[in-house]
Amino acid sequence: MTQDLNALTEAEFRIVVRKFLADNYPENLRNPPKRLHWRDNQVWYHTLARTGWLCPGWPVEHGGMGLSAARQIALTEEFERHGVARTNDHGIVMVGPLLIQYGTQAQRDFFLPKILAGEHIWCQGYSEPGAGSDLAGLRTSAVSDGDHWVVNGQKIWTTLANDANWIFLLVRTDPAAKKQEGISFLLVPMDTPGITVRPIINLELHDEFCEVFFDNVRVPKANTVGEVNKGWTVAKNLLGFERIFLGSPKLSAHALGRLRALADRMGAWDDAAFTDRYTALRLELEDLKSLHATFVDIVRRGEALGPDVSMLKVIQTELFQKITDAMMDIAGENAGLLEPMEGNRELHPSGLFIQARPSTIYGGSNEIQRNILSKNVLGLPG
Amino acid sequence: MSAAASDDANESVRLIRDSAAAIAPPGGDTRRIRALRFQDPGFDRGVWGTMCEMGWPGLLVAEADGGSALGMREYCALAEQLGAGLAPEPLIPASMAARLLSGADLAALLAGRHLVLPAWQERPNSLDTVGDTVIAGGKVTGRKCFVPMAAGADAFVVSGQGGLALVARGAPGLSIALEQTQDGGNFGTLSFADTPCTMLAGDMVAALEPAALATAAYLLGVMDRAFALTLDYLKTRHQFGRPIGSFQALQHRAADLKIQVALTRAGVESAAAAIDAGATGALALAAVSRAKARAADAAMLVTRQAIQLHGGIGYTDEADPGLYLRKAMVLSNLYGSAALHRARYAANAADQDD
Repeated sequence: MTQDLNALTEAEFRIVVRKFLADNYPENLRNPPKRLHWRDNQVWYHTLARTGWLCPGWPVEHGGMGLSAARQIALTEEFERHGVARTNDHGIVMVGPLLIQYGTQAQRDFFLPKILAGEHIWCQGYSEPGAGSDLAGLRTSAVSDGDHWVVNGQKIWTTLANDANWIFLLVRTDPAAKKQEGISFLLVPMDTPGITVRPIINLELHDEFCEVFFDNVRVPKANTVGEVNKGWTVAKNLLGFERIFLGSPKLSAHALGRLRALADRMGAWDDAAFTDRYTALRLELEDLKSLHATFVDIVRRGEALGPDVSMLKVIQTELFQKITDAMMDIAGENAGLLEPMEGNRELHPSGLFIQARPSTIYGGSNEIQRNILSKNVLGLPG
Repeated sequence: MSAAASDDANESVRLIRDSAAAIAPPGGDTRRIRALRFQDPGFDRGVWGTMCEMGWPGLLVAEADGGSALGMREYCALAEQLGAGLAPEPLIPASMAARLLSGADLAALLAGRHLVLPAWQERPNSLDTVGDTVIAGGKVTGRKCFVPMAAGADAFVVSGQGGLALVARGAPGLSIALEQTQDGGNFGTLSFADTPCTMLAGDMVAALEPAALATAAYLLGVMDRAFALTLDYLKTRHQFGRPIGSFQALQHRAADLKIQVALTRAGVESAAAAIDAGATGALALAAVSRAKARAADAAMLVTRQAIQLHGGIGYTDEADPGLYLRKAMVLSNLYGSAALHRARYAANAADQDD
């Protein structure tokens, strides 16, 4: 990128983004009704990679755009307005920032360019059948064997594992230690022998997440991030990145746009109770944006996120659900349709309502987020 | 804003907070607050004088006019600190008046010699500053209500049809009816009948905006402090052999209150920064309305929950949570209720596809 985007005014910046999208975004990928798989979105990923627009939040020296918080938010809003699909972004949102902070120089040199080039598509191996909310209770084991770990166990709810060629993994390396103290963080190629992926069909009737099985999978010890048995610290930090991502106003902004379109179609603006409800949702979104920006700035300054980032996840996901609740309330019988109304992808209240369900469950349920806030932010007793 | 300007603002915000805490320690002097409640005039003229020596009513006033020419961020930081300390001195209305005065009148207000308060409102739940009051030929006739701390005012700035005027407290034809407010202060209802006045050049409508935003910031201080008190209580009060803050139902409620405080802070700071960066017109109105709507609702929620989470003791006048609730009850609807500001936001903030 030759232009210093941070130096533009916000209005100028938005014009640049709009032009970029008009010139580059594939028309047939606008407003997809469900999350796209890699086979469909890789064209767009590679376009972003080629033009240098893939990693807005990464520092410039690592190949990112180094955009300020305000610019990142404006960029997201413009992408949203254009109906841009989400890519397979675990590498961009999570692995990159993680390695920039915790990785070795060798790990950064090897992995970051491959994320930027779209060679490595990442997925996240955290949850297990017996370790959901109680993530630190995970049992997938890694046993030392010379310069390798041998991994056995099972992960679940692994988003787009069926697209990924790398997985970042929490494993138990010291079964005798207290639960949080025997965990390590590994980077594993998905084509390693012994890995099996099985998709799960969710309420959207979509194979967005998977189970991943590990049967004597050999992983080089050089693929450990941070110290052995200190993976929980790394993971907790990554959860911070995840929460700032899950707390991004993007989903709610998207949903509010759809609510607006639906209200136009249903003639809901004549109802004063609806317009007041709509304004309250708008205000909540604007306040979320302001709060989100303060956390984005913390990341941009290279400082560690505190546990208070859990607030963002709670606010965003519950706002998302409140917006889709309002859609269902004004949609009438259309609320029961399986497909978008009138063949219009922008009018799909039932689809968005279903999509909003897991947001308060994944990434640490909102009950867990509130536990974290009360114990680690407010200091309330256990 | 450049990084250097931003650092300067951060530094002056810190200085303001420090000096405010010296006069109105957050939650540290409720004896003073209690002693002033329900007494005439509802605040301490001596403390008001000190606030004037600190230059607070002139914070937003140009240096050439005797002010400090600071920004909304500093003003909001000050108001928040005063809210945390429940300071009853009428800084926000007096600062509003300062924006409407000039020359000797302004100098007397800033020096603390002459307390001037704005009288603009004629109906509940309205931001209309004109109403039925008529200002013509050096006389005012009409009726203004909800003038906070009117009991202590030496003069009033009055808006109406025909402009803006300054009226002395003892002017013939002016009668003042005082009603006590829940926080221990008072509202004045001012009736003018051919009351002599001097004309002023200021803009009452514009002066309302900093007052509304500073009230949001004051409410932020109120809720922040009420929440802190409540957290302390959750950690120390024992029932069933455990601190009540160990119960998950109460922990989650506390987490939700924390979220409301954080959203209010984000809204207030974002509005102040926007105005300091030059936002005007509909953009500024929308920013102020967003901050005030959230602050009003959140302050009521947090202070109500402060009573509930304190249990029986929270319902006694002896315990402090009630002081914060009563302050929120008075200020939440002042300079526009949450519902009014939501509607004003909708009218002024361009929607995505507009």
